Amino acid sequence: MTTADAKRVDTILKGREGASGELIEALQDIQDAFKYLPEEALRSVSEKMAVPLIEVFRVANYYKAFTLQPRGRHLLTVCMGTACHVRGAPRFLDEVLGQLDIKPGETTEDGDFTVETVNCLGACALGPVVVLDGKYHDHMTAGKLRALIQGTLSKKAKKTGDR
Amino acid sequence: MRTIACMEDLEKLAEQKRKENRGYSRTVTLCAGTGCCASGCLSVIKALREELERLKLKEKIKIRATGCHGFCEQGPLMVIEPGNIFYCRIKPEDIPEIVAETLQKDRLIERLMYTDPSSGRKIACEAEIPFYKAQDRTVLGQNKLVDPCAVGDYIANGGYSALVKVLTSMKPEEVIDEIKRSGLRGRGGGGFPAGRQWEYCRQAEGEPKYVICNADEGDPGAYMDRSVLEGNPHVVIEGMLIGAFAIGAKHGFIYVRNEYPLAVEHSKIAVEQAGKLGLLGTNILGTDFSFDIKIARGGGAFVCGESTALMASLEGMVGEPRPKDIHTTDKGFKDLPTNLNNVETWANVPFIINKGSSWFASKGTSGSKGTKIFALTGQIRNTGLVEISMGTTLREIIYDIGGGSATGKKIKAVQTGGPSGGCLPEELFDLPVDFEALAEAGSMVGSGGMVVMDEDTCMVDVARYFLEFLLDESCGKCVPCRIGLSRMLEIIKDITEGRGTEEKLELLKDTAETVSVASLCALGKTAPNPVLSTIKYFRSEYEAHIKKKQCPAGVCRELIHYSIDRDKCTGCGVCLTACPHEAITGEKGKVHRIEDDKCRKCGICGEACKFGAIKLS
Amino acid sequence: MSEYVTLTINGAKVRAPRGTSVLDAALDYGICIPHLCHMQGVIPTGVCRLCIVEVIEKGRSKVTTSCTLEAEEGMVILAHTDKILKARKNIAEMLVAEAPNSRAIQDIALKCGVKDVRYPFRNKDCVLCGRCVRACTEIWRSRSLGFVGRGEQRHVALPFDERPEFCKRCNACIDLCPMTITPCDGPMKKGEEYFCGKCESQLSMSEDFVDSCVWCRLGEGFDVTGRHAGRKQEDKR
Repeated sequence: MTTADAKRVDTILKGREGASGELIEALQDIQDAFKYLPEEALRSVSEKMAVPLIEVFRVANYYKAFTLQPRGRHLLTVCMGTACHVRGAPRFLDEVLGQLDIKPGETTEDGDFTVETVNCLGACALGPVVVLDGKYHDHMTAGKLRALIQGTLSKKAKKTGDR
Repeated sequence: MRTIACMEDLEKLAEQKRKENRGYSRTVTLCAGTGCCASGCLSVIKALREELERLKLKEKIKIRATGCHGFCEQGPLMVIEPGNIFYCRIKPEDIPEIVAETLQKDRLIERLMYTDPSSGRKIACEAEIPFYKAQDRTVLGQNKLVDPCAVGDYIANGGYSALVKVLTSMKPEEVIDEIKRSGLRGRGGGGFPAGRQWEYCRQAEGEPKYVICNADEGDPGAYMDRSVLEGNPHVVIEGMLIGAFAIGAKHGFIYVRNEYPLAVEHSKIAVEQAGKLGLLGTNILGTDFSFDIKIARGGGAFVCGESTALMASLEGMVGEPRPKDIHTTDKGFKDLPTNLNNVETWANVPFIINKGSSWFASKGTSGSKGTKIFALTGQIRNTGLVEISMGTTLREIIYDIGGGSATGKKIKAVQTGGPSGGCLPEELFDLPVDFEALAEAGSMVGSGGMVVMDEDTCMVDVARYFLEFLLDESCGKCVPCRIGLSRMLEIIKDITEGRGTEEKLELLKDTAETVSVASLCALGKTAPNPVLSTIKYFRSEYEAHIKKKQCPAGVCRELIHYSIDRDKCTGCGVCLTACPHEAITGEKGKVHRIEDDKCRKCGICGEACKFGAIKLS
Repeated sequence: MSEYVTLTINGAKVRAPRGTSVLDAALDYGICIPHLCHMQGVIPTGVCRLCIVEVIEKGRSKVTTSCTLEAEEGMVILAHTDKILKARKNIAEMLVAEAPNSRAIQDIALKCGVKDVRYPFRNKDCVLCGRCVRACTEIWRSRSLGFVGRGEQRHVALPFDERPEFCKRCNACIDLCPMTITPCDGPMKKGEEYFCGKCESQLSMSEDFVDSCVWCRLGEGFDVTGRHAGRKQEDKR
């Protein structure tokens, strides 16, 4: 972690010294700032907020909102809610995981994609739903999703080509 | 903004807002809930703003972006008042026409009107649409009247008058009695009588006391709490204020799921606004009642919907349930008396105070009073949020409101109560929605998820889905839930993958029983419900998987087989190029075939084929 | 207030100091209620669920763990009803299938009447009873260990999987582990696992423990000192 990063963590923890009850809120702010929870940040959380390191580690591992590894450039969230399930979400999830050769929650080796599952986005009318970088894509099928991923990848290839 | 000190102040403010609203000749209400946002309502709103700006109609026509109207299937939605004109599936391109025709010349645009699928008739009026007509939208109906970020809208519609009534003319005990008489039961799943719970908490020793609003709605396929909190946060705050007064609590929390960014934002704004009006803080309305609310974002753990886990999470710890030998109303958050209710329960409170307990108790069945919101999803034509009087039958909800099957295939089951609920077959659709009636049938009202399943749904696969979900979401602390569920999943996987036996099915039932008897918290105790109810009502499907090694619905991957219909295949080659696994071979113009060893059963070929030549067996 | 309470367990009048758990009251009296995660001197968590009992209140029965239930005056407890025995036996069956090589768990399973195990063996080296975690946290106040993850991923771990400098190397985690009791003849081969049922010793958790298992991987889970790694090599020789 650079000094600048350490300063960012310090700013987040300011006013929370010793306030163990705010642990989750503090970690959420760090997650928002860094997109993941760096180990050093967690160590300084433990120190400043007076929470045992194992508790910080436990909380960071327990909740879905937190990741201990940096996420990929693109985040694909697949809704696995009941409504999406009965409309066929598992079939294309397998497909996309096979295509990218990762498991849910993992990032591809080249750092392009992270695929995560979510229990329900509450957009059941549009199901099956996936969210790619914050944009909702409705009524997904294996074929449509494949095209979506390839489209995102080729955009990237084009950009690097232009350069 | 001045603070509100008495009933007159509130009346004055409400009148002032109403006057402002009367200055507009038309009000255009657009649903800006999560569902409609996902289907593009924000660009529609933007287009409308620009168009009104361009035509200099801003002073005459009010745009109100509101919370969820419930009819998500038809989004983006618009309601034009006066006139109750309902337009659906609007695109930004439609806006100039709507402004020119409907808003300026009072002419209806048939193309944008709702078509009743059963009669083909176009319906102009929102109130006439069958989806809305059969509902009783006490709580949800408010959503379209208020802009969630404008406290003035809420007050203009009579908001906070229940709070003023309580603080100026009632004793805490009277409030509790009123809630008890109404028969309000917790809407979060447990169904515990709210009035009695409040009373326990009031009588408990320890200071300060807390009230919590549980908005950690993790049930897949359920989003009613989000819609209420997102669309009308002040009604929840008012309910909490009344509860806090009755219980004698000083602090409150809204524990909201982080996956619901709009709900987080709107509740934060609402708390701030209520604070500025003096409705939250110290000496509210000049009385000695003080109360504040903090918003806590959940970390994303389903089990945190369980009260003790939620409280642990609020304390900044891992959200694991603890044994409930001592109730949370005695020792809850920080070991102090705590009263927890979910969003919908709190939202009902102001209505009960304003309209009276007898009004509330007049709706519903003998044991279950009032209205309940359900999220109707799955293979149903009208996906959306519905609010009905308790006692309405499942059939009325599914067919009269939901419009029946989305695909035209026969509906075979409805899953109620979320992951810990059960699947009820078509024969039981005449059951009323009632806490006891559904529990007796092996399901539950739960928080209000209602997932409709048709013939394409494999019930064994559904049971497997819920088990996977629950095992993933279990905290893993106690043996029956962690090991028991993983053993159940192991057996169900065997069944869906063709390794099932009769003995394994018996072991599955034994294990399920142990899990429900011996688990530590409600998550574990109710986790076997989906398995037990599907075995009870859909045993033939289990037997087909076990004895014939077949999946009748064609879902379980290991038991299905894709092939190409020789008569229908034209040899166009579309499937061949579409197949990501190079499992299809064939020459142009000749019948293609699928190589079984390469086929991964993704179904992409079926999507690609225009001739329906891909057979599933 | 009297310093003692009297409750009924399985029909017997049991007198216990106020504040005692129902489990301790029963054990003191001589009523055997099987248990695994329960330890003296730490806060009960009720996670193994073996010590479940039925509490009868106003004619209604409720199932709860006796270790977390405080004995109260006039309480009526049924510890060995058919419903409880069946669930308890099934729990023991699950535990022994998770870790068939632990003698402590074999004993418990035998006590609960498990004769054959219907689940495939998993040969795990931890059943997450939490004895190590609670000893580390509550008795030694070291907080070096904890449960990490949830659902099936839950496991005992060190922060960032390294032994922290504040670990006191007290070894309590290993000594209290039900896996560290020498089991049967040796590790079972894959596919040949069976429940031997040979152990008949009346095991009590306060007895002196023999050292961690040298045959199989059991008990290695919390090897924070390196002591056992060395010993294992010696044995191989």
